[in-house]
Amino acid sequence: MTATISHTRLRVLFAFFAVASLLLSARLAYWQTVGRADLLSRATDQVHSDLVVPAQRGVIRDRNGAILATTVDLRSLYAIPGLMTDRDGNDMRPAVATALAPILGERPEVLRAAFDSGAEWLFVRRRLPEETAARVAALHLAGLGFEMEPKRLYPNGAVGAQVLGFVNDDGVGQYGVEGRYATELSGTPGRLVVARDPANRELALGLRTAVPAKNGDDLSLTIDLAVQNAVERELAAVVEREKATGGAIVVLDPKDGAVLAIASSPTYDPARVGSADAEALRNRAISWTYEPGSTMKAITVAAALDKGVVTPSTSYQDVGYAVIGGRKLCNAQCKVYGPTTVTQILSRSQNAGAVFVASKLGASDLNAYLKSFGFGQRTGIDLAAETSGIVRPLAEWYPVDLGTISFGQGLSITPLQLASAYAAIANGGTLYQPYVVASRRDADGEHRTAPVAVRRVISEETSATLVTMLTTTVDNGIANLAALKGYSVAGKTGTAQIPSDDGRYVDDAYISSFAGFVPAIDPRMVVVVVLDRPQSKLLGTVPAMNTFKAIATDALRYARVQPDRP
Amino acid sequence: MTFAQAVRAPQVRRVQHRPHRQAVPHHRGAPRRAAAGQVRTTSWEIRSFLLASGVIVGCFLLVLLYLAQATAVSAAGYEAQRLAAQRDELRRQNALLVIESARLDSPARVETEAQRLGLVRAATIGLVGPEAVAATR
Repeated sequence: MTATISHTRLRVLFAFFAVASLLLSARLAYWQTVGRADLLSRATDQVHSDLVVPAQRGVIRDRNGAILATTVDLRSLYAIPGLMTDRDGNDMRPAVATALAPILGERPEVLRAAFDSGAEWLFVRRRLPEETAARVAALHLAGLGFEMEPKRLYPNGAVGAQVLGFVNDDGVGQYGVEGRYATELSGTPGRLVVARDPANRELALGLRTAVPAKNGDDLSLTIDLAVQNAVERELAAVVEREKATGGAIVVLDPKDGAVLAIASSPTYDPARVGSADAEALRNRAISWTYEPGSTMKAITVAAALDKGVVTPSTSYQDVGYAVIGGRKLCNAQCKVYGPTTVTQILSRSQNAGAVFVASKLGASDLNAYLKSFGFGQRTGIDLAAETSGIVRPLAEWYPVDLGTISFGQGLSITPLQLASAYAAIANGGTLYQPYVVASRRDADGEHRTAPVAVRRVISEETSATLVTMLTTTVDNGIANLAALKGYSVAGKTGTAQIPSDDGRYVDDAYISSFAGFVPAIDPRMVVVVVLDRPQSKLLGTVPAMNTFKAIATDALRYARVQPDRP
Repeated sequence: MTFAQAVRAPQVRRVQHRPHRQAVPHHRGAPRRAAAGQVRTTSWEIRSFLLASGVIVGCFLLVLLYLAQATAVSAAGYEAQRLAAQRDELRRQNALLVIESARLDSPARVETEAQRLGLVRAATIGLVGPEAVAATR
C-alpha cells in the first residue's frame, strides 16, 4: 500500500517550516551581530576567571645558608553561617562553634557571636598552623572552608627580629631587611585568565592568558645566626640582671663593615607583632641615639694623633679638672692623677685629659674628624629607619663644647656609628659602610654586595698606635674586665649622662657602654655594647664589659680563631 | 529530488516494470530506451543517495573525532590541573618540613635543649694550630 500526502498539506508544512526557519535565522542573525557583544560578555562572565597570581616572597638566609625568614601558604579558616545546617535544615551554628572552640583555643560564645553577626562570609581564623588546620578539616563541619594565604615564617623565633623586620597582614615588609628590601623581596604578581567549568576547574580548551609571576629575590645576609643568637642571649641576660631600660649590641667585621650581629632590647617576636610594644619595634642599634661618653675619647685621641698634635707619650699635669669656655670639667669623681701621658688618658679614662688633647687639636679639626669618622650622618646601612645622630655644626659650638665633646657629651650617636668608627681604628684607618645583605639572588643569578670603603679617616700608623693604646686600656687600665684569656683585646669603656627634655642631665641615671675589638692585632670582630640606665649606674661599664667578654668568647670559639696570646 | 523520494525510488521501479513488459509486447525498442533511461535515472539517484549518506557519515565521523579529541584534551587538562594541585601541595608540605628543620636547628632551641639535658658550657677549649698539627706528622 502506498501512502500519499496531499500537496496542500505539504505546502502548509513547507510554509510553516520556512517561516520557522526564517524566524530562527533572524534571531540567530541578531545574536550574531547586534546582540553579540552582550551575549559574549555574559558568557565570558560565567566561565572566565581573572586571577592575580601572587609572587612568592624571597627567602632570607644567614651567611651560612640557615633560613631566617621564608613564606609558606597556610590555610585560613572561613565560615558561611548560612550553610551551617544539617540535612533536615536544622541550625548547626551552636554545634559548629562548640566543636571548633577547643581546637582554636577560643570560647564557643565568641565563635557563636561571629556566626550570628549576620555576615554571609567571614574569616574565623587566618593562617592556621598546619596541625590545627588538619584537626579542623577532620571534623567535616558544615559551612566551614579553607583558603590558602601566604604567611611569613621566622623559624628562629625572635632571634634576629630587629635585623629582619616583619611582614604585615597585607604582605608589606616593615622595618629591618623586610622593610628596606621590600620591593626586591616581594617580586611582581602575575595574572591568569582562564575559562572554568561549573565545578570551578580550569578548562584546558578555551581562553587562557597567563602572565607568570616574578618571584621575589632571595637574600643572603652577613648575619651569622650563631653569633646573633649569642648576642641576643647575652643582651637579654644583662638587661634583666641590670634592670636596664634597654640596650643594644652591634658586632661588625672590621675588614669590610659586614654586620655579624645586631641586637636591641626591648625586642619582639615577629610572629606576634600585633602584641609588641612600639618601643620594642625600634632597633636601638640604628634608630636610637645617645651621648656616648668616654668611648669617644678614643676618637678624640685618634684625631690628635693623626693630626700630629700629640703622641702617646705626650704628657700634662692632671689636677682633676680642666677649665674651658669658663666651665670647669672634672674627671670622674674629680680624681686627681698628676703627671699623665696620652696613653694614660685612655687607660684611666680622664675627662680632663681628653679636654687637654682636644685643646691641642682645636674645635675645627675635632669637628672635621668627627664627621670623617661618620658621626652626625647615617652610616648608609641597608636597614630601614636608620637615624643620623647629632653633631652640631662648628658654627654652633660654644667654647665649652670642645671640652665636653672630647669625652663624648654634647653630641649624640648610634651604637652602629660607634662600631663603624672603631672598625676604622681596628682595620688600619678605613671607614667602611656597614651592610647586612651579602648577596641577592634573582632569575639572572647571584649579585654579591661589594663592600664600600667610604674614606680613609686616619693613617695606618695612627691606627696601629691607637690599637696599642686601647690594648693597654684593656690589659692594664679601666677596661681590664674585658680582657680575654688567650686573646689580645683593644677597647674602651664609656659612661654618659642622659640629657633630659629641659636641657639638663637626668639625675643618677647613666648609659654605660663598651666598645672593643678582638684580637687586637688582625681583628675579627668589633663589638659595641650599650646599656640604657643599668642599675649599676656609674659601675654600669662592668656588666657591659662582661657582656662583651661573653660574646667574644663564644664568637671566637665558634669561628675557631687561633689565640694570639699564651 | 527530495531525500524521501530517493529512498523510495527502487520500490517504484519494481511496481512499474511488470505491466510495461506484459501490456506492450510488439513495440520492444521504445520500452528498452525507456528502461535504459530509467536505469540511468535510478543509478544517478543511488549515487546521489550514497554520496549524501557518505558526506553525512563523514561529517558525523569528523565531528565524532573532534569531540573525542576535545574530550581527551579536556580530560588531560583536568588531570594536569589535579597533578599541578598535587605538586603545589607537596611543595607546600616540603616547605613546612624545611621550616620545621630550620626551627629544630635553631641555636636558641639547641641551647635550651642542651640546658634541659644538663649540659654545661666547656670552661676551656684547646685549639690546635696548623703548626702543631704539622709537627706531629
